Amino acid sequence: MVSVKPAGRAGDIRLAYALLSPALLLLAVVIAYPVGWEVWTSLTDLSPLKDGSTGFVGLANYRRLLADATFWQAALVTVVYAAVTSAGKLALGLGFALLLARPFRGRALVFLAIFLPWAYPAGVSVIGWYWTLNPPTITAYAPFMGQLKYAVDGTFGIGAWAFASVMLFNIWRGSSFIAVLLLAGINAIPQELFECALLESRSAWRRFRLVTVPLLKPFLALGVFLSLTSAFADLSNVWMLTAGRIVFPVIGTHAYWLVIKAGQYGPASALSLTLVPFLLAVLLVLFRLFDPPQERSTA
Amino acid sequence: MNPKPWWAKVGHRSLMLLATIYCVFPIYFMLVQSLKTPKEDVFGNPFIVMDPTLENFQELFDREGEVRGFVGTALRRSYPFADWLVNTIVVFAGSVAATLVASVAAAYALGRLRPPGFRWWRRGIFAAYVIPQTLLFIPLYQVVHTLGLDDNLLALLLIYPTMALPFCVWILSAYFQLLPREIEEAALIEGASRATAFFRIILPMSRPVLVAAGIFTLGTIASDFMIASVFLLTPNNQTITAGLGTFDVALDELAAVAGVNLLAIPVVTISALLARGFVRGLTAAMIEGA
Repeated sequence: MVSVKPAGRAGDIRLAYALLSPALLLLAVVIAYPVGWEVWTSLTDLSPLKDGSTGFVGLANYRRLLADATFWQAALVTVVYAAVTSAGKLALGLGFALLLARPFRGRALVFLAIFLPWAYPAGVSVIGWYWTLNPPTITAYAPFMGQLKYAVDGTFGIGAWAFASVMLFNIWRGSSFIAVLLLAGINAIPQELFECALLESRSAWRRFRLVTVPLLKPFLALGVFLSLTSAFADLSNVWMLTAGRIVFPVIGTHAYWLVIKAGQYGPASALSLTLVPFLLAVLLVLFRLFDPPQERSTA
Repeated sequence: MNPKPWWAKVGHRSLMLLATIYCVFPIYFMLVQSLKTPKEDVFGNPFIVMDPTLENFQELFDREGEVRGFVGTALRRSYPFADWLVNTIVVFAGSVAATLVASVAAAYALGRLRPPGFRWWRRGIFAAYVIPQTLLFIPLYQVVHTLGLDDNLLALLLIYPTMALPFCVWILSAYFQLLPREIEEAALIEGASRATAFFRIILPMSRPVLVAAGIFTLGTIASDFMIASVFLLTPNNQTITAGLGTFDVALDELAAVAGVNLLAIPVVTISALLARGFVRGLTAAMIEGA
């Protein structure tokens, strides 16, 4: 390696901080400050509906949450939602990726089809889904959808159909992204490893379990992480697909509801923050599995 | 390898077919819907369109300032769709550009210049991905209000870039980090400046990863519904996403589905044209990053 003068290195470091600053500034304004504000607010009784000064209430908001049945319901629904959608996305995505991993005629087209649900802008496809699944009564397929809705709601309780449609939408879109991500991961693994495996064992299941899954582990972890974060944060889809009529609240919608209905900023902030420790834990696991390698000793 | 038995081929084919139908059907359904006349919407077969028409798309643009309503003026609504289209283009293009510039700069710093603790910087930036913007509405609104960006496209241009930035910095810096040092140093020894070496050598070599980051950003910001709806209130300032959210389900179903398609078709086309690059870029970043 060319010897670098200390002055050059110091200049590099200054340059590095200068180049980092736009990204850090954006994150500070849009993420860090709001999170700090929420942490502080979750310890107070701030509300625009309340007269007088805002008082510091310590952990009261959190204690109240833990005693609140609605919170536990929302937490349960959120966990079920995240678990079911992540499992569905992962299973379908892995299936798609393995189907696409080997060449065959028409692969480019099938790949494109599988890529589409993610590429289709979800901000508007969620509107299309809502209207498809809950069509205005005049459309030709409305009677069929209506029957389906009542069958599902009748079996599982009112609101079940709306909730199932949220999950379906999330899985439909997410499995597409996971498939592309895992396909990229499979491409990143040297082909010889799979060929060796082929010589070692004739059982496709054994090869899958002992070779494919371990090699794909970091990418699977990344997929799970992205899927969980989006599921926990999935306020808009739930909101939109249930048209605000929340029968199965998730943490996100419940917090939003507390704010717009009741102006309870403190409890809402505490509620929003309850998700963060879980996501950080998942993130730590991810960092163990999927981190750029330690700098090679030669560098 | 030995040839596969016929049943394996048939099985493979049918799996392909199933996967394709599963992925494409909802999109197909929305497309067909948007091409229908009101008559066919009510009486026709939901899965096909016999008499395709573009009048729903036409109607979106005709609607500006027009009186609409079956019940006098009670339902008078105007939809400035042309404005929404322009706003959407500005916001999407601006956000993707801002995301790419900020993340390339940060990734170059982390992957090549490596200031002390660069690994922790990278992890810290990625950790921001954990915090969903949708849970930060109240403080975000304060920020937007303080900066005087209420009901302004700049609010989205401020918030959107942070949605995909952590992921982009992550894959770009992983890629930059393991590009061999020599390629850049050769240029530096020749007397080129760091900037020249970056723009002439590093950046062209990173094209696939840049494409991947760009497509990921586009897909991420195009999936937002809440932020656009909350921060843009005046009809003329809205994006297509925010605007369509205000449509009335029972009255404007066909026009809304047309609007969905009008945004989706260009976005999907761009993504589809670059789809191969997207996979290649992710692969490149993963070979470096795994």
